[in-house]
Amino acid sequence: MSTAQALSKVVVMGRDVDLWLCVNAISRALGPASVKVIAIELPTRLRSSDINSTLPPLEAFHSKLGIKEPSLIRATAGSFSFGHNFVAGSGQGPTHTFFHAWGAYGAPIDGSAFFPCWLKATRYGLKVSYQDFCLTAVAARNGRMLLPDEATSAFGRTDYGYHVQTLAYAGYLKSIAANFGVKIYEAQRAFVERDETGSIAALIIDGSLRIDGQLFVDATGPDASLIGRSLDVPSDNWRRYFSVDRVLSARAPAFTKTPPFAEIRISGAGWTALHPNQAATGVLHAHSSEFSSDEAALESSSAAAGANLADVSFHAVNTCVRSRMWEGNCVAVGASACVLDPIHDVDIHALQLGIVHLLSLFPVTAQFAVERAEYNRIMRSHYERIRDFQCALYALAPFEGEFWQRARGQSVPPALSHKIATFRARGQIAPMEDETFLQDSWQAIFIGLGVAPESWPPAIDRIPPNRFREEFHRTIEFIRGKVLGQPTHDGYLDSIGRSSAA
Amino acid sequence: MGAANLDDNRSPPFRVVIVGGGTAGWMSAAGIRRQLGPEDYSVTLIESDEIGIVGVGEATLPHIKTFNDMLGLDEAQFMRETRATFKLGIQFRDWDQPGDCYIHPFGAFGEPWGGVEFQHHWLRGQQAGGQRFPIQDFSYSVVAARSNAFEFPNEDNKSIRSTYSYAYHFDASLYAAYLRSWAMQRGVRRIEGQVCDVSRHPTTGDLEELTLKSGERIAGDLFIDCSGFRSLLLGSVMGVAWQDWTHWLPCDRALAVPCKRVGALTPYTRSTARPAGWIWRIPLQHRTGNGYIFSSQFIKDGEARDTLVDGLDGAVQGEPRLLRFSPGRRQRAWSGNCVAIGLASGFLEPLESTSIYLIQTAVTDLLTLMPRPRSAGIDPRLIDEFNRLNEMQYERIRDFLVLHYTANRRVGEPLWDHVRSMPLPDSLVHKMQLFRSRAALPNHQYGLFSRDSWLSVLVGQGIVPTGYDRLADAFPLSALPERLSEFRNRIQTNVDAMSSHEAFIANYAQAMEITNSEEAVA
Repeated sequence: MSTAQALSKVVVMGRDVDLWLCVNAISRALGPASVKVIAIELPTRLRSSDINSTLPPLEAFHSKLGIKEPSLIRATAGSFSFGHNFVAGSGQGPTHTFFHAWGAYGAPIDGSAFFPCWLKATRYGLKVSYQDFCLTAVAARNGRMLLPDEATSAFGRTDYGYHVQTLAYAGYLKSIAANFGVKIYEAQRAFVERDETGSIAALIIDGSLRIDGQLFVDATGPDASLIGRSLDVPSDNWRRYFSVDRVLSARAPAFTKTPPFAEIRISGAGWTALHPNQAATGVLHAHSSEFSSDEAALESSSAAAGANLADVSFHAVNTCVRSRMWEGNCVAVGASACVLDPIHDVDIHALQLGIVHLLSLFPVTAQFAVERAEYNRIMRSHYERIRDFQCALYALAPFEGEFWQRARGQSVPPALSHKIATFRARGQIAPMEDETFLQDSWQAIFIGLGVAPESWPPAIDRIPPNRFREEFHRTIEFIRGKVLGQPTHDGYLDSIGRSSAA
Repeated sequence: MGAANLDDNRSPPFRVVIVGGGTAGWMSAAGIRRQLGPEDYSVTLIESDEIGIVGVGEATLPHIKTFNDMLGLDEAQFMRETRATFKLGIQFRDWDQPGDCYIHPFGAFGEPWGGVEFQHHWLRGQQAGGQRFPIQDFSYSVVAARSNAFEFPNEDNKSIRSTYSYAYHFDASLYAAYLRSWAMQRGVRRIEGQVCDVSRHPTTGDLEELTLKSGERIAGDLFIDCSGFRSLLLGSVMGVAWQDWTHWLPCDRALAVPCKRVGALTPYTRSTARPAGWIWRIPLQHRTGNGYIFSSQFIKDGEARDTLVDGLDGAVQGEPRLLRFSPGRRQRAWSGNCVAIGLASGFLEPLESTSIYLIQTAVTDLLTLMPRPRSAGIDPRLIDEFNRLNEMQYERIRDFLVLHYTANRRVGEPLWDHVRSMPLPDSLVHKMQLFRSRAALPNHQYGLFSRDSWLSVLVGQGIVPTGYDRLADAFPLSALPERLSEFRNRIQTNVDAMSSHEAFIANYAQAMEITNSEEAVA
C-alpha cells in the first residue's frame, strides 16, 4: 500500500454499542469522502437486563447520525434522565441524599457566579440545598420533564440523558448501519494477519473469510481482542484508585410512574444503581469481592431495589487504561481502550469521545504517526479526567461500611488531590483541559458528599445580603413556576409514542 | 440570614501592599479596589518617580476591554487619556522570508460548514487548483486592517461584521497614570518612595515590613511585587529561582524610541523581522512608538540603534533607550505572602502583545484566590492553584512566540539559522506536526491563543499542510470555488463601506491637544 494513497477502507470489529455507534459515525461522516466501512460483529455480551443511563452529549452525537429522539425512545423502551439521585440507605447517615443533575445550578447574581453566593449564604444560615436551585433537578424529582423555553434558556442549561435498554439500542444502531449500506459480517471469532511491519493486514473470520483493510478499529469491549490480545499493548491498571471489582446486573419491574432520573442507593457493601425506563428497571450493583460474596451482593441489591430481581448475572470489573489506544493501524475505542469504574455510567460517553476524536484525527493517508500520537495523548487526558471525577466520589464518600472505608483509603490521582484541595480552600473548581464533567457537576458532587469549602472569593462580599435573599427567592419561585408548567415524564412519553416493548 | 451578623467589621482590614507603580502596579491596585470592599482590604502602593517605567507605547489584546469594563471605564475617555488607537491585529513583515507579509488578526478566518473548520475547505480548494486566494483574504479583520479601516464589531452574530474583536495601542505610562487617579479617588493610598529594607518573619520567612528611604515603615499582610525586571521582593528577597528560556527565545535586549507620526493611522501593530531580531511599530494618536528587540549574541547595541533609527518612518524623538532582559519566568509567581505580577514574575518579549494580558490574568486569578480578611496566614492551597494557572499561561504563550521564530526561511542569517534549528519544546513540536500533516489546530479551553491565531501564524510562517480533514470531502468540490469567493467578496464589500481608522478616532476619542496640533498629517 502506498503511504501517500488516501486511506479508504476501515474495518471495525467488535460488538454491541461499541461496534455500532462507531460504524455509524464513521460511515456517516466519511462515507461522502469515499471511506468504506466494514463491520465484523462478534456475539453480543449484553444481557436483557442492561439499561444504560447516558450523558447529555449523546443527544448531539445522535443528531449527527440522523437519529430522531422519538424513534430512539420508542425503539429502546427509553426514557429521559435529568441526572443521578444519590441516596444513602438506612445506617448510612441521613444527610447524604443529593441530586447530581445534568442541568445548570442557579444563575449569576449581579455578575457573580451562583455557587459562591450560595456557599456564603449557607454559611450564614441559608437552609435551601444546592440542588433546589437546579431547575432540572427539581423538575425530575417531581416526576416532570423540563422542556426549555426562552426563560429557562436564559436561566441555564437544561441538559438530559436517556435510559435505554442496551440490547435494543445496539440493535437499533445496527439496523441504521444496515440501512445505510454498511457491509456487515457476523463472526464467532477472528484471527489477525499481520504484515511485515507488524501492522494488521487483514482479519480472518471464522477460519475462512479474509477481510483486509487499512485501518482497524477495536470495538470488542474489555476483551480488547485486537489491541490487547493480538497487538499486546499493555494496560495501566487503575485498581489502586477503585475498590469496585465486581458488578451484578439484573432487572427489576418498571416503576408505576417512570422516574426521569437514575437513583444510586448506597449500602455498606457498595452501591446499587436503578436505571428506570418504560419497560423495566435496570439494576446494577457494584461491590468489592473482598468484602461481599455474590450471594450477599444479590441480597443487598434486592433490598436496595425493593423488588425481586430477574436475569441476574455477575461480571468482574478491571479498571484500566490501555497504555496506547492507537497502535500501528489499530485504534481502540470504548472499553477496549479504557475500562472505567461503573459509577456515573460513563461508558457510552467514553466511547463517544473515542469516536469523535478518531473522526477529527482520521488519517489523511496511510502515514498517520502524528495523528496516532495526538490521539493517544488526548484520549489519555480525557479518560483521566473522567477517572478523577469517578474517584472523587469514592475518595470523599462519607458513607459507612467496610467497602466505603476501603474506597476512602485508595490512592487519589494528583490532579484530583489538587482539585479537592482548591475546592476545600476556596470553593473553586480548578479548571483543567479535556473535562467531561462541567464545573456544576463537580460542585454538585463535592457539596453532595459534604465537602465544605473554607472560604469563597472575597469579591462576592460586595453584594449586599438582601440581594442574595431577593435572588434566591426569585429563583426558587421561577423554578416552582416552570416546573408546575411541565408535562409529567409519563405524559411526555405518551405524547411521543410508547415503546411496543413497554 | 441577617446583614448584621454577616461580617465582623470591627477588626482591621487585610493590608495589601503593592511595590511598584507602572501598569502592573496600578492594574493590580485598581482591580483590587474595584472588586474588594475597603473595610476588608486596604491597598497601599509604593512607587518612586525616580524609577523609570518600561512602557513606551504598548499594544494590547482584546481582553483588556473586559478589564476596563470591569472597572467601569468610559472607553472614549480612556482612549483620549492614553492617546489610544484601535488595534485589529499584528502585521508581520519579512518574518517567514524577506518580502513576505501577513497579519495575525483578532478575528475568525472564514466560517465552518458541514462540521468542518474553514481551513480544511480552504486547503481543499488550494489543492484542487483553480483560483487560489490567500487565507488572509478570508479574515474580516485582516482586510479591514489592510484598508486602515475601523468600526466596532456588529453585535448581530450572523453578520460578517461580528467576526472580529479589537484591542488598543496606548501609551502605557498614561494608562498607569489614568488608573492611578482612578484608584486614588477610590481610596488606594499612594506613597512616593523607594524600598531600601525588607523585614521577614524569622520562622515563616513571610514579608512583614518594608522600610523606605524616607525611614517610613510599611507593614502588610500580602505584598504584590510589581517592581518590574528587578523583582525586588519575589526574586531578590524571597529568592524564588528563575527559569530561563533564552535557549528558545534568544532576544535579550530592546531599544525603544518614539518618532513623529506620519502617514495613515494603521489599526494594527507592525512587527518587522531584522537580521538580529525584530522591530515593532505601534501607532498612537500623537506619535509612533518603535523598538528593536534583538539578541546581543548577534548584534552590537550601536549597530542595532542605527538599524532602528534609520528605519523610522517619522522624525526621531530623542535617543533610543536600551533595556536588558532575560526571557523566562520565576518558578513560582506566588511564594509565601508575596505575589509577583507583571515583569517581576517573568518576561516574554512583546511579539504578541501579551505583557498586559499576563498582568490582567494574574490580577483576575489573584482576586479569586485572594486570602480572606482576618484569615490566619495564607493558605498554601490557594498559592498552588495561582501558580498552576500562571505557569500554564506562560507556557502557552511561550510556544506561540517560539513558533514565529523557528518557522522561518531566512537562510544565511545567523540568528534565524539558529532558531530554525534549535531544539523546541515538545508541546510545540507536536502542534506544528499536527498542523503540517492535517491542518489541525491546538484545542485549548484555557489560556492563549485561539485556533484562529494559531492558523494565521502557522500559515503566515509558511507551514503548508499536506493534508486536511477528510470530512471536508463531503462537500461537493464543484461548489467550493463559488462558496469561497462569495465569502471573500462579502468581506470586501463590507470593508469598503467602513470608515477609516483615523476618521473613526477623530470622531470618537481624539485627545484634545492632538486635534489642535498639526501632527495629524496624512
